[in-house]
Formats: sequence, structure tokens, C-alpha cells
Amino acid sequence: MLYKDIAKELFILLTFSVGVAFAVNHFSPGGIPFFGEWDVSKGVITAKSRDDVVVRELEIKDILEAKEIYDIGNAVFVDARSRDDYEKAHIAGAVSIPPYKFYEYIIEFEALCPVSVPVVTYCSGRECEDGHMLAQYLIEAGYSDVRVFIDGCSVWFERGFPIEP
Amino acid sequence: MNPELERLVCHRWVRLVVRWILGGSFVYASFHKIVDPAGFAKIVYGYYLFPDYSINLIAIIVPFLEFFPGLALIFGIYLRSAAIIINSMLLSFIVILSINIARGHEFDCGCFSFGEAGHTSAAVQLLVRDIFLFVLGVHVILIETYIPWKSADSCANRLLKNNARL
Repeated sequence: MLYKDIAKELFILLTFSVGVAFAVNHFSPGGIPFFGEWDVSKGVITAKSRDDVVVRELEIKDILEAKEIYDIGNAVFVDARSRDDYEKAHIAGAVSIPPYKFYEYIIEFEALCPVSVPVVTYCSGRECEDGHMLAQYLIEAGYSDVRVFIDGCSVWFERGFPIEP
Repeated sequence: MNPELERLVCHRWVRLVVRWILGGSFVYASFHKIVDPAGFAKIVYGYYLFPDYSINLIAIIVPFLEFFPGLALIFGIYLRSAAIIINSMLLSFIVILSINIARGHEFDCGCFSFGEAGHTSAAVQLLVRDIFLFVLGVHVILIETYIPWKSADSCANRLLKNNARL
């Protein structure tokens, strides 16, 4: 009888909790689908929430393509990591705009780079969505040619490509 | 068991405080996960223990398995079941933390906020905290299951009588 009572209570409590969980997730503006994108081979990982910043079309998945753009020299590389990480080491010539402080840095950036300049954002790698977040902010600010180098500085450093300082 | 200790363990206020600490901790822990399920999903991913297809489902369901059983403990509803659910989760957290400590994997706990330090020393602190909460959960389950008297006084008296008989 005791176990039957506990089983009944458990069933009610679990069913109620799970039911409300799905209902709240369905109606919440920050709700997520049942399945996200957690395979790094496909790009930056994301839960694919309604306010998701990850846009696959902007992604540069091949580091050699990123290096090619870098070597052409007409694109500006923008580091989306924290200022501290940027100062330790970054892709040579890259500028720093942490997306969480975007409005502190964008005026200075706009003065240096007109909106027609191609921009490539990056952060630490495929588990970091800050490069995408920064790309969205730059697009909103009027930059039309924005890409996201998803392997970020970790793979760039590994390959021995140019870094500063 | 020492009769004084029995009286203390069974005392109405002790039972209430234990329930409120445990329930309050879980209700508080659930808030930021409910508000930002995508952020929590990323934390779950960061444990590197769960298959990809389960990550979003965990991020949707777990916060509410913390919230409602926590609330049930605070308000004294379905106490045994609420404590069983909470202790099942605590046991899972303890296993997850232990695995990550054992393999030296740095991670963001995400327990009470996102961005909690995940280095090994902090993970040990988290483990101690979870074990403490687990003990509180065991207290609730035992008191509410095996000592089914409603008032603390009668609980202690019955325990003392049982001891006297023995």
C-alpha cells in the first residue's frame, strides 16, 4: 500500500512537471526545439532556440578558405572573445569587439571600417557562438558582407598561421 | 539511536527547515534554467556525457523536475515523492560530477547560475554540496515514509516508546 501510494504520487508529480515543462517551452520566447544541433562537424553548436544567432549560411567551415580570405587582405578579421583573451593572442591584424560590449566598440570600428568592407568574425571555436552573435550585430549595424570563421583562433593557432602579439 | 538525537531528527521545526532548505535550493536553482533553456542546453552539452539527441530534452524537462518537487517540499505536498525525485537528480549530479572530476574535465556546473567555475577544486565543492543536499533528501524520505506520525512530538514519543520496549 505504501509503495502504491508513493508510485501514485510520483506519477502525478512527474507527469505534471513534464507536462508544464513542454507547455512553458512551447509558449516561451526563449523556447527550444526537442532536438538541437550538437555535432561540431556541422558547424557551431546550437540549441536552435527561437532567438538563435547561428546562421549556417554565414559560416566559413574550412580553415583554408579563411586563410585565403585573410591572404587576399581586403577583409577585416574581428575577434569576438573577451578583451583579455584577445590581448593574450589573436589573429594578426584582427580587431577586438566582444559582442557583450558591442556598443562600446562599434563607433570606433565604424570610423575605421566603412560598411562596405568585408568582415570575418571569429571566437574560440565551434563550441562558441559569440562569432555569430557579433556577426548579427554587425549586420544590424549595416555591414553587408559578414562571414563567421567557425574554427576560430584555436585551429588558427594550431596551424601556425600569423598571430599577434 | 540516541533518544535526544531521535527527538531532534523528528522535531517539527527541524523537518520544516530541512524541507525548506532542500526545496528552496531546487526552486532557486531552476529559475535561470527555465528562463534560458538554450543556455542550459549548452551547459548540458559541456558535460560531454549525453548523446546529442537528449541534450535539448534534458534542458527542457530537468528545470521543471527541480522546480515543482522543490515547491512541493516547501509547501508540504507529496513529500516522499518530491524528495525521491530530488534525490534521484542529486544522485545523477553526484555521478556526473564524480566522472568529470575523475577524468579531469573542466566544465560549467550551471547549477545555480551559468558560468560557475568548473575547475576541479570547484567541482569537489559542488560534490560536497550535492552530498549535503542528498542527506537532507534522505532525511525527508525516511521521516515521511517510515515514521508516519503527523506531529513531531508523537513521532519522538513513539520512537522513545519503541526503544523502551526493546
